[in-house]
Amino acid sequence: MKFSEDKLAKVSEIKARYPEGKQKSALLPLLHLAQEEFGGWLSADTMDYVAELLSITPIEVYEVATFYSMYNLKPVGKYMFEVCQTGPCMVRGCDDIIDYITEKLGIKPGETTTDGLFTLKTVECLGACGYAPMMQLGKFYREHLTKQRVDEIIKECRDKAALNN
Amino acid sequence: MAIKLLLEKAHVQGIRTYEVYRREGGYTALEKALKELSPEAIVEELKKSGMRGRGGAGFPTGMKWSFIAKPEGVPRHLVCNADESEPGTFKDRYLMEFLPHLLIEGLIISSFALGSNATYIYIRGEYAWIPDILEEAIREAKAAGFLGNNILGTGFDCEIYVQRGAGAYICGEETALIESLEGKRGNPRIKPPFPAIKGVWDRPTVVNNVETLAALVPIIKMGGEEYAKIGIGRSTGTKLISACGNINKPGVYEIDMTISVEEFIYSDEYCGGIPNGKRLKACIPGGSSVPILPANLLLKTTKGETRYMNYESLSDGGFATGSMMGSGGFIVLDEDQCIVKHTYTLARFYRHESCGQCSPCREGTGWMEKILKNIETGKGKMSDIDLLWDIQRKIEGNTICPLGDAAAWPVAAAIRHFRDEFEWHITNPQEAQIRNFGLAHYADPIHIPVTEHSKSI
Repeated sequence: MKFSEDKLAKVSEIKARYPEGKQKSALLPLLHLAQEEFGGWLSADTMDYVAELLSITPIEVYEVATFYSMYNLKPVGKYMFEVCQTGPCMVRGCDDIIDYITEKLGIKPGETTTDGLFTLKTVECLGACGYAPMMQLGKFYREHLTKQRVDEIIKECRDKAALNN
Repeated sequence: MAIKLLLEKAHVQGIRTYEVYRREGGYTALEKALKELSPEAIVEELKKSGMRGRGGAGFPTGMKWSFIAKPEGVPRHLVCNADESEPGTFKDRYLMEFLPHLLIEGLIISSFALGSNATYIYIRGEYAWIPDILEEAIREAKAAGFLGNNILGTGFDCEIYVQRGAGAYICGEETALIESLEGKRGNPRIKPPFPAIKGVWDRPTVVNNVETLAALVPIIKMGGEEYAKIGIGRSTGTKLISACGNINKPGVYEIDMTISVEEFIYSDEYCGGIPNGKRLKACIPGGSSVPILPANLLLKTTKGETRYMNYESLSDGGFATGSMMGSGGFIVLDEDQCIVKHTYTLARFYRHESCGQCSPCREGTGWMEKILKNIETGKGKMSDIDLLWDIQRKIEGNTICPLGDAAAWPVAAAIRHFRDEFEWHITNPQEAQIRNFGLAHYADPIHIPVTEHSKSI
């Protein structure tokens, strides 16, 4: 397991943002980078590699990786639907959206489809309350969700996956 | 028409780019600050402006800045808190997404005033596309000579870096944010020492909210005294309100703090009333942590006076009959909403976000979630209400950071104002699964308007 030259250059750039001897500050950004690069989740090997890059002990990485909700500690589907379920989204009908995704994909929150394509996850407030209901899909938000929008998103993901295969 | 100091140019085509921002008068506040004012003079202007921190606590920013220690030879840092995670709040996202240069300009002015040569924007991890926008703005500002070495020939050097969090509400608390920036779990520190003395890497640090730092631009442009003339009392300047829930026009609004809550909800300039001709039941006016108010207490104080959208008026009556301005996350609930269920989702949020360091918060938030879920799903007991009250009392004030209070207040306020709705859930468990409690007496005796606009939608 090793970052590409490109990514290693990025690692150096990130480490240079902090004062001398404070390279541990690069841990969160590096974990994001590693998760993107190595299959969408952080295995023990990935975390050990990040520890090595920063010359810190593996436990310093594990304790951080387990604290923050965006780091996945087990494999997830290629497309993760992270649907917000906090008050303002609840008021605008997120429960129906979650139920609908469960019905369409046959997975409950926390589960992944058997083809490894989709994971459904419920999350707490993502700061899109005015555009609810919403979900995070990869880097971006999908807002003003309706059942029809969910259908379109599922189709979009399937099409993209088919194109890549 | 309302006064707009921050969002005035938000709809100018291409305002995200340096070229357009500059053409529209951007970076003139920065030029004024660096060429005509000393760091001390900027802090003075900020004090005169009466600016209060826009992240939620409302602490006077000028005073916060004046606390920063200046030991010889020790670098100082400014950290911009962009970890916006309070349910109902999405104003900073709007600012960063659409007016990145406004924030960058405010940050450079602030960095100059505080003597920060390396300034960090700590942004919540989920806003994953925004760092690209900010980094592009930083590149452009640097190319224009507003960042880097010897800015405008003043000898002042400054770099701005964007750091993404990874999903933790607690990192909005300034000492947790500092821990996170250092590459650790977001466990808040015990204060003192305050960040102004010992912050990131044990160096003097100021942490301010995005909106606060962006406001440096109009404050410098117009001068602190002029800025302070806008608004009322100790609520000076403008405030961004992110409005959501059961309203016709959810979104981010800039208000001067002299408008009434009623106007904010019902006028077409702002929320545009409540959809489908429904009536207002309740509102959380300042982000999920602040007390929920039933309609009658929201629109008027117990003295029968109109309630306004400002720090003083929203907190009129204390927690007994008032609430707080908080972060400006304005959540409106109509007559069909269930207070028990809504409170349950908030309790679940705080349980999820508790860092686990202090036992009253770690254990208490879990208990509150469990009990509220029981009541919501028809398994509640009458004694649960008092138990909830008891738990929230034991969390409040007994934790290192304010997350404990933030978790306790929504539960306390829900019981305080909507106790009969909780009781109804418990005595009518089956009925409560089918229908909501409705408005009951909360909307009386004052008149709750239904606007023509909201009827037609």
